[in-house]
Parts: sequence; C-alpha cells; structure tokens
Amino acid sequence: MGKKKRGERDFEDLKLLISHQKAKHFKCDRCGKRLNTAGGLSVHMNQVHKENLTSVENALPNRQGLDIEIFGMEGVPDDIVQQHNQRIIQNFYTAQAERQAATGNPPRGQSGGQGPAKKIKYETPEEIKKRLAEHRAKVAAQKAAGANGIPPAAAPPAEGQSPAQNASPFPPPQPGYPYATPGVPGAPPYPATQTYPPTAGAFPPGASPPPGATTAPFPLPARPPSGSAAAPPYFYNGAGGAAPPGYPVAAPSTVDELVANAARQGAGGDDIDQLIRMAEAGIKPGGAAKAGEEGAGEKKKKGTRMVYSDTEVSPEERMAMLPRYRWVEQAAA
Amino acid sequence: MAPATQFEAAQPPTDAVSALVFAPGASKRLLVSSWDKNVYLYEVVDGAEEANLVGTFEHRAPVLDVCFGASPDEAYTAGMDHQVKSKHAEPVRCVVYSAEHSLLVSASWDSTLHVHNTTDPSQPPLAIPLPGKPHALAASPTKLVVAMTARLVHIYDLPTLASALSSPNPQPPQPWQQRESSLKFLTRAVACMPNDAGYATSSIEGRVAVEWFEDSAESQARKYAFKCHRQAAPEEEGGGDVVYPVNALAFHPVYGTFASGGGDGTVALWDAEAKRRMRQYQKFPEAVAALGFSGDGRYLAIGVCPGFETGMEDYSGEGRTKIFIRELGETEAKGKGAK
Repeated sequence: MGKKKRGERDFEDLKLLISHQKAKHFKCDRCGKRLNTAGGLSVHMNQVHKENLTSVENALPNRQGLDIEIFGMEGVPDDIVQQHNQRIIQNFYTAQAERQAATGNPPRGQSGGQGPAKKIKYETPEEIKKRLAEHRAKVAAQKAAGANGIPPAAAPPAEGQSPAQNASPFPPPQPGYPYATPGVPGAPPYPATQTYPPTAGAFPPGASPPPGATTAPFPLPARPPSGSAAAPPYFYNGAGGAAPPGYPVAAPSTVDELVANAARQGAGGDDIDQLIRMAEAGIKPGGAAKAGEEGAGEKKKKGTRMVYSDTEVSPEERMAMLPRYRWVEQAAA
Repeated sequence: MAPATQFEAAQPPTDAVSALVFAPGASKRLLVSSWDKNVYLYEVVDGAEEANLVGTFEHRAPVLDVCFGASPDEAYTAGMDHQVKSKHAEPVRCVVYSAEHSLLVSASWDSTLHVHNTTDPSQPPLAIPLPGKPHALAASPTKLVVAMTARLVHIYDLPTLASALSSPNPQPPQPWQQRESSLKFLTRAVACMPNDAGYATSSIEGRVAVEWFEDSAESQARKYAFKCHRQAAPEEEGGGDVVYPVNALAFHPVYGTFASGGGDGTVALWDAEAKRRMRQYQKFPEAVAALGFSGDGRYLAIGVCPGFETGMEDYSGEGRTKIFIRELGETEAKGKGAK
C-alpha cells in the first residue's frame, strides 16, 4: 500500500502512487515532461523553461511547498505519516461503531445478551421433551397414513411438516437447528439454503448423490437415472405422493418402477449419459464454451421450448403438404 | 491474410432455400435450390465481393436438393416431382453425387434409395429399400450416410454399392453399418468429414453429434454430442431455453472443421478434433437453412430464410430469403488441432 502525501489518497501499490505523483504533481505544465520529485521538477523548470517553480501542482493547500522532497513513500515527513495513520484508525473505529449500531451485533469479543444483540434460544428440558413427544406422534401418524409400505427409516422431513401437507415435491427449507432432530440420528446434513429448480431434468450441482441418498428421508427430485443402474436410484417418500413434474406417473413406489420410468424418459438421461461417458473416457465435456452451454441448459430446462418439435415428420414434409408447394403429377403431365 | 468479408448475392430466390452447394474444385459456381421451383446458379466474382446470378433453371415443382455432378457444368436436382434420373414414388428429399465412384444416389420419402451409375445412363438404377423415411444424406469418399425417421442411421459402403450396381443381377446390398442416432430427436442434417473418418449429424433439438465410422471401441468412445443454437428465453416468458433446429452442417474441405447453421439464424464454426467452438458469426436476419463451403474452402455460402416452426399453418419465404457469401480469412476456419 502506498499513500500520497501531497494529497490524502491511499494507493494500492507503490507503482500506482509514483505514476500518480508524476502525472498530477511532478509534471511540467510547459512541456508535459514527468519528473520524479518536486525538486526534480523545480530544476527542470529552471533549466529548460528558465522559470522558477513556486508550488507543487494539484497538492493540498498546506502541502504545496517545495521544501520537502517526496518520492513515492520516501521523504514523507513523520508528523504527516502519523496524522494520516491516526486518521485511518479513527475512520476504522467510526465505521465499526456505525456498523454495530446498524446491525445490532455486539462488539467483537463480547458475548451476546447485551442491548439489541442476537438472542440465542434456550429450551428447557420440559420444552424439548414436549417437542419430542409431538414429533413422535407425527411419525406414528405418518406411518399409519403411509400405506405404500415405506420402511420406518423413511422418517418425514424434519420439522414435522409432513410431505403430505407439503404440496411441493421439493424438500422444505431446512433451517439449521442447533440440535439434532430427535428420532433421525443419521439425518444427512443438508445445507439450509439449497433449493432445487422445479424441473425433472435438473439435478443439484455436482450431480453426485448426497451421502446416504438411498435412505434419505427427503423426497428428492431425482434426476432421471441414466436408464441403467449407473446411478443409485433415489427413493421417493411414498407418503409425499408427489412426483416431480415431467414424470408421467405418480410417485413410483418400487425401484423397478422408478427405473422403468427413467428408461421411458429419454431426453433427460441423454445428456447425463453423454456427460458420464465423456467423464469416463477422461474427456472434459467440450470446450469451455460448450461446457458452459451444457451447464446452463441443464439448470434451466424448465421453460425449454423447441421451435420445431415434431420428431416424426420433418419440416420439409410439413411444407410439402402446404397447398402452396404441393405438386400433383397429373397437373404437370 | 485475406480479409474476412461477407456479402449478399444479388437476386436471391423468391422463396425458401432448400439446399445450396458449391461446385467441386476451385470453381466459384454456387447452385441454390429453392421452394420457388427454381435452381439458381451464381458465380462468385473474385475480389469484387459479389455473386452474380448466371442462370435459373425452372422445375415443375419445388426443388428440395441439388448437387454437382462430375464437372462444374453438370448438376442433379431432386424435388417434389418425384424425379431424379429415375422415378421415385414420392418426393425426392436428397441427392448426392460421389465423384470417386461416379454414383448418383437419391433418397426419397417413398423410403428408398436409388443408386445410378452416371457413366452409363442406360443402366437401370439400383433401388435399396430403407426402414424409414430419409431426411438427410451425405457422402464421404467411401461411405454414404443416410439419416431416417425413428433415429435410424444407415451407413453404406460406396464401393460395395458400385459393384452391386455393375453386377449382372443387381441385389440391394445390406448397409455396411446400422446405427441409432446419438441424438434423441429427429435428424436434421448429416455431413461427412472430408478425410473419410466420420460424420456429424444434427437434430431439431439444437444438438450436434460427431461420430466416427470405424467400428472399434476406441473410435466409438470418441463420439460426442453437444448443444448449440439455443437462446435463453426472456424471463417474462418463463425463462428457460428456446431450442432451435440445426438445419445445416458443412465440413470445411481443407481443415476438417465444420460449420453448423441453426433456426436461430446463427452460424458457428466448430473444431471437431479439439471439441471447441472456434467462431460464432453475427446473427442473420432469418433462420439458416443451408450451408456450403466452396471446393477450396475459401468461401462459405449461407442460405437464409424463415424457419418452419411447429404450429405454422402457412409458410412463405418470399422476400425474406437471402444468400450470403462469406469470404473466409486464411486461418479463419483452421482448427488448432487436438489438445
């Protein structure tokens, strides 16, 4: 970092500072020659233009004197440096105080509980027990409701919002609870902010199933498995009963059904197949541009609209059927 | 280095372009077949940045394809009137001439290929039944690729076709290879690599696949497909992508790179070896219907007309059909080679 002492500006690096100095302060206004220091400029003015330099251009009013020779950061008088540093430190504290006032965060190093600072929610053992009881009741109710033979391991998504109530096929946001959800000791840690685009073809970035996916208690919008057992199929929470849009049938309850569905689903699996094949062959998916296109396409397949979508009849055949282009042999004969 | 310039041919066809082809060799002749029942012959003037209409050849019905024969003075056309050199039962979609074997092959919606020996016009053509309607046809020095409905791709060996044709009792030969298209949607165009190594196909769903002829595991592992000719739809229309058909493919005769032209009105140059896009040209006013490199690779002709889209009740390319010719810079279409 560099600072400038003719003015009060901070520079990221010394080179910039020097070029600033040369351009703003130590440039000869007669011929445009850029000198390194005020002294150098003074001598240049004297010798080349036969003039006396009286003050440094563009400098702060009290720093126009020629008596101090500054080059870069060298030669800056001590008192000015100290003044400057003090000003910076003061600015920092002012800013910090303002920020604390604005955000309500406690000063660093102090615990919360003072003034408007964040409050951490404490639960008494009774409260926790009550919540546990409620949760167990819900689990039991769900087990009773879920007639699809879902193994008990498939507990409802946390927070007790049953998937049946949850019309969306996507997992509800998972606020980060400070304690483990009771009853689901092995619940995979889900990032609270992860959202899924509402599309069948999409899959979370990274494309690899989350740890423990096969027993994941959430109705994940599974990407279509690539028509084979290449990827472990996701289980839908049967109680949820909601298939991602794009699937022609309701949530499959067996793996076989799921695989069959996936096999029926052509287009989505294609890209992924392709990507997997290419990855296996050690080929990066296309160039940077192509990879970008692939990625972008995957993520927002939702509104994908094909300009021409007939997979049996070509545009030419369609055009040929128009009266405008039709040709009847008799007419020409 | 020659500058890259682009100009428009004077007097374009009055309706949609169906095909466009440069004469082989260094000839500057360009034939354009059109739905307006004419075939247009243009001559590109060197250095003058213009292409003049030399002649038009009127047909009885819309012309769907055109190719040059053995010399720049000879051409074959295919069209709605079922006629090439022999008679098909349905409109003839494609016609291809193999200079190496003096064979003319036509593909018709009656699901047959007709193979003609152009050196002996008296010889009856050989008809090969196809399992589906052909939509695209392309020939490399030794292979013929036919893309049909239901994603079928048949590859015929041209020498086999030639010998079958000249045998006293011609039997329709079996395809050399039968493949399923690597693309999930209707094939739109096929183009063969000039070095006889493989071919590229494109579909109505904004995708291009590159494949190799050789039937070994290594060669087949090399094949790939990629998306192209898509546009992000505006947010107010729900976002997502608008996917255009890839209407045209053409390989550069010298560098082996290829161009694709799509319904989005853009032309992109691809390096098949390095799997990179080399260039994307400025958008044309309408969809790109046909592409063709000149025999020496100096020019790229681009046929532009409104694209036929799903749900169209009527169609006319009148007044909106144009032929652009791009003079390529010396290294413009040269790939960097595999990494």
